[in-house]
Amino acid sequence: MDPLTLALWAIRLAFLAALYVFLALVVRALLRDVRAASRDPAGALGRLVVVASGSLPAVGSVFPLDAVTTLGRDLGCSVVLDDAFASARHAILTFRGRGWYVEDLGSTNGTLVNGVPVAVALSLGFGDELQIGEVRMRLERGIG
Amino acid sequence: MTPPGTGVGLRGGRGERPLGGRVVRLGLVLALAFGGLMLGAGYWQVLRADDLARDPNDAAVIAAAASAVRGRILDRDGRVLATNRRDAGGELYRVYADASLSAPLGYASRLYGSAGLEAAYASELLGVGGDDPVSRALAKFRPPAQRGDDLRTSLSLTLQRLAVRLLGADRGAVVALDPRTGEVLAMASTPTFDASGIANPATSRPAFAAARDDPGQPLLNRAIQGRYVPGSVFKIVTAIAGLSSGAITAATAFPQQPAAESTGLLVSGFRIRDGHHPFTGSEVLDFPRATEVSCNIWYALAGLRTGGAGMDEAARRLGFGEPIPFDLSTATSQLTNGRGPLPGGFMDDVELASAAFGQGEVLVTPLQMALVAATVANGGEEPRPRLVTAFVSPSGAVRDVPEGMLGRVLSTADAATIAAAMTRAVEGVDGQRFTSGAQVAGVTVAGKTGTAQLGGTGEPHSWFIGFAPAQAPTIALAVIVEQGGRGGERAAPLAGDMLRAYFAAQP
Amino acid sequence: MTAAALPGFPRPVLRRRELSLLLAVAGTLILGSLSLGLTRTGSLALADPAGLVAYLGALVAVHVALVVAGRRVDEVLVPAVGLLGGIGLLLAERLPQDLVVQQVGSATLGLASLQLIWLVLALVIAAVVAITVRSDRWLRLYKYTWAALGLGLLLLTFVFGGETNGSRLTLDLGPVSGQPSELLKVILVVFFAAYLAENRVLLADARVGVAGRLTLPPAPYLLPAGLMLALALGIVVIQRDLGAALLFYVVFLCLFYLATGSKVDIALGIGLFLVGFMVLALVFPHVRDRVATWLDPWADPLGTGYQTIQALHAFARGGLLGTGLGAGLPMIDGHLPIPAVHTDYPLAALGEELGMAGVLAVLGCYLVVVARGLRVAAATADDVRALLCAGLALVIGVQAAIIAAGNLKLIPLTGITLPFISYGGSSLLVNGLIVGLLLAFSDRGPAPPVEPRRRRLGRDGA
Repeated sequence: MDPLTLALWAIRLAFLAALYVFLALVVRALLRDVRAASRDPAGALGRLVVVASGSLPAVGSVFPLDAVTTLGRDLGCSVVLDDAFASARHAILTFRGRGWYVEDLGSTNGTLVNGVPVAVALSLGFGDELQIGEVRMRLERGIG
Repeated sequence: MTPPGTGVGLRGGRGERPLGGRVVRLGLVLALAFGGLMLGAGYWQVLRADDLARDPNDAAVIAAAASAVRGRILDRDGRVLATNRRDAGGELYRVYADASLSAPLGYASRLYGSAGLEAAYASELLGVGGDDPVSRALAKFRPPAQRGDDLRTSLSLTLQRLAVRLLGADRGAVVALDPRTGEVLAMASTPTFDASGIANPATSRPAFAAARDDPGQPLLNRAIQGRYVPGSVFKIVTAIAGLSSGAITAATAFPQQPAAESTGLLVSGFRIRDGHHPFTGSEVLDFPRATEVSCNIWYALAGLRTGGAGMDEAARRLGFGEPIPFDLSTATSQLTNGRGPLPGGFMDDVELASAAFGQGEVLVTPLQMALVAATVANGGEEPRPRLVTAFVSPSGAVRDVPEGMLGRVLSTADAATIAAAMTRAVEGVDGQRFTSGAQVAGVTVAGKTGTAQLGGTGEPHSWFIGFAPAQAPTIALAVIVEQGGRGGERAAPLAGDMLRAYFAAQP
Repeated sequence: MTAAALPGFPRPVLRRRELSLLLAVAGTLILGSLSLGLTRTGSLALADPAGLVAYLGALVAVHVALVVAGRRVDEVLVPAVGLLGGIGLLLAERLPQDLVVQQVGSATLGLASLQLIWLVLALVIAAVVAITVRSDRWLRLYKYTWAALGLGLLLLTFVFGGETNGSRLTLDLGPVSGQPSELLKVILVVFFAAYLAENRVLLADARVGVAGRLTLPPAPYLLPAGLMLALALGIVVIQRDLGAALLFYVVFLCLFYLATGSKVDIALGIGLFLVGFMVLALVFPHVRDRVATWLDPWADPLGTGYQTIQALHAFARGGLLGTGLGAGLPMIDGHLPIPAVHTDYPLAALGEELGMAGVLAVLGCYLVVVARGLRVAAATADDVRALLCAGLALVIGVQAAIIAAGNLKLIPLTGITLPFISYGGSSLLVNGLIVGLLLAFSDRGPAPPVEPRRRRLGRDGA
């Protein structure tokens, strides 16, 4: 086989191989995405998306929710809200089997859901907005 | 603002459930669909790749025909049957050794494409026949005057020429093959056509027009595409069916048979007449005698006793009902039209009885009948017929085509019984009355003539099938001369001449 | 609606994954061009270096534009589509240039040049749409307007349009001619997605019992969508564009399943389609002919079956590894063996030259596009957007599947195009639009705050 034919077949096979290298890279990226999503199962149940706030947290931030999520200024809370009008342990958001419930933990300024103050444990639906201090967040469906 | 708890998502119905799971499921269904597409690609690009790429209508093969040098075609002794020549313009064209080869070889012409072996093996002859794309693509980089493989065939130029000469001005076919290996020694179909004339660009048009417009249809390869009423040669098939199913034995005799010779055999209200062997008188014939004198009554009764299903089954084992696996495409031989209610597809007992002696709706190709003779000759195992025995590449590498058997049709003992009966049909005292001319000095010939009645006023077809030497056969053949009269008139003597020439050439 | 746009000047966001994938694409296309060049000239040279540079430049430009715009959109779509478009360009370069010729000013443009122009325009459209579209309100609020627009477009074509190749319908507006059925598929998907998403609860839960345990969605809610679909299909069938009809129907069924999860409805839908198709085959001779040619093309090998048979032969000649770019498709008397290979049978040409390995890779790329679209659909909280993304991705994927199946004689051949690979201006532009919309809707929103959750930040001390 002369060098031309050899070169020809080497390049042809290299082209086909390159196609598969690309596909392999894509598959690796897809798998990484899936792994990233599953590494963070907390996001599966629901998320809180910030729609308005004083300065922090930034509007558009997304907080994944666990089955039990505490909100407040204290560092021990799952969702730390650095807002002057938020109490140390302000409210608790729980997922009970079929839906979400929010309970105010005796905060100074109270918790609002869709503008209405929360007195007792109240059920929440996706799309409802929760306000703690100056931070207003919307409950959204989780990923996956 | 909407009161809390009314956001969509809490009532738990199907509309509320998250999309995620469904998306995954839909994704899987789509992946399956694409998987199906990939399997489809695999089907055409791997499974069917070979036979499509070798097809003479494939673009690559056609393109190669314009540039590549066709390999030669050789006979069994290495004599050149087809080769190339350059014309005044430097272009190559095909030349054939003899017009008698027109049926098996066909032609290869720029204007009219190819036919016969030239078409069937176009990709090998043009060197496009590589199995994998690598060699096919590599071929592109070799110097342009690239040669294809030579075909080594099993044909004998001598026998082929002789067969065509003996058929003369009659239309007909001769198929001669070696029953041990299936190699076809001669395949003649007359009238022949001028294949060299068609292949030569200077004479292509008139030669092809002459062939196409000839009322004798020379472009039809009668040996494999002609379907004829077999007449008494079909009795061998009936014998195979009866013996292998156990319905009859060599000693089977029908008491009503002698009387039916004069009055005719009544089958479902229809009278089947004989009368071809008045000299047997009131003798009750057994199988060898019935075969020797070609008794229609005996065979009709044997066929009825075997039954439609038994006949059909044996015929299928022999290759009826389907094209015969062969280098060239063959027509299908049939036992009956198959539309009837009786087992095997017969309309009624009359048709079954008639088919048993080769009338009725039976239609056979000469190749099929040659194979019937070869099966008996080969001890009951049917050989696979083949024309091409090897491919020889330009570098000298030989790729043999493996021989094979199509299957066992009947037991060795039964085959021997039939062979003995067929020997009597040629060599026996009474047999010679029918098969005069088929005898060869010094060789025991076994065979059977046939006179195929066509109805109307035309002459019947003249048939002969047989093999020789009867003890250890090396050649089996079938001869048909269209409207040649009784079997013994044309076909039997022709076969005798063929056999004589064949054995004379043996060392 | 998802997270709103950031106020102020957008911050550029590095798209590393997209860059590395684009590098892989560039490498692949360069190898392909080398392969074609080597086959053609016998020496190591790129085939059409100017075109390759222009195309890769366009891809890089799109990448830079997305980086600068700072939108965190999907990073796999552009490379995947770029690869498909590049393969289409290689194919266009490899085919005889006089298959399509157009005069632009003093220059005569052949197949590859025209394909390059349309492809670059498609990329521009994709980039512009990806950057500027920030919300889907205009889609979901005016869905009925869109539907009417689509039908209007179709009726316009019916009245004023002309037939090409017996089945495709083009609308000639002066020097430009296009195929409205291409745009119609986007409009219909938008309408279906919006409609099904907004009414999914009712369609899935408020069902009406029909026979025993069989339930159907209540008529008033199913009717608009069903009517719209039937109308579009009817017009499309009368226009003989069977491929588009099949595409609309399959995408509709998929979106319906996503919205309601009702497998029974899908089974019913498939059954209805089969019955309808059989009726069509009985009534319309051209449908019957297509099916007959599909079932046995060898019945008329020099007439109706010719194209199909030649395509199958092309696949066979390709085998596992193909003949190499530029080395297949042997010409007979100066003509390509497959008629209209650049529009109807691109997969057969790829199959011959790239082999089964290449065909599988190309199919894999389409699957990647679909997977990314579906992924966005799964990750989006909002129903309309999810269905929109799914629908748009499905349009590309199902279209590719339909034409691939037709090329491989798995279903009768239809007249639709292989996205990004077939030659066709309208097809490329509309597919560019689809990719742009997919990118726009895949925006993951601004990056989450980098500060770890448990560290205190703030204006005043503890």
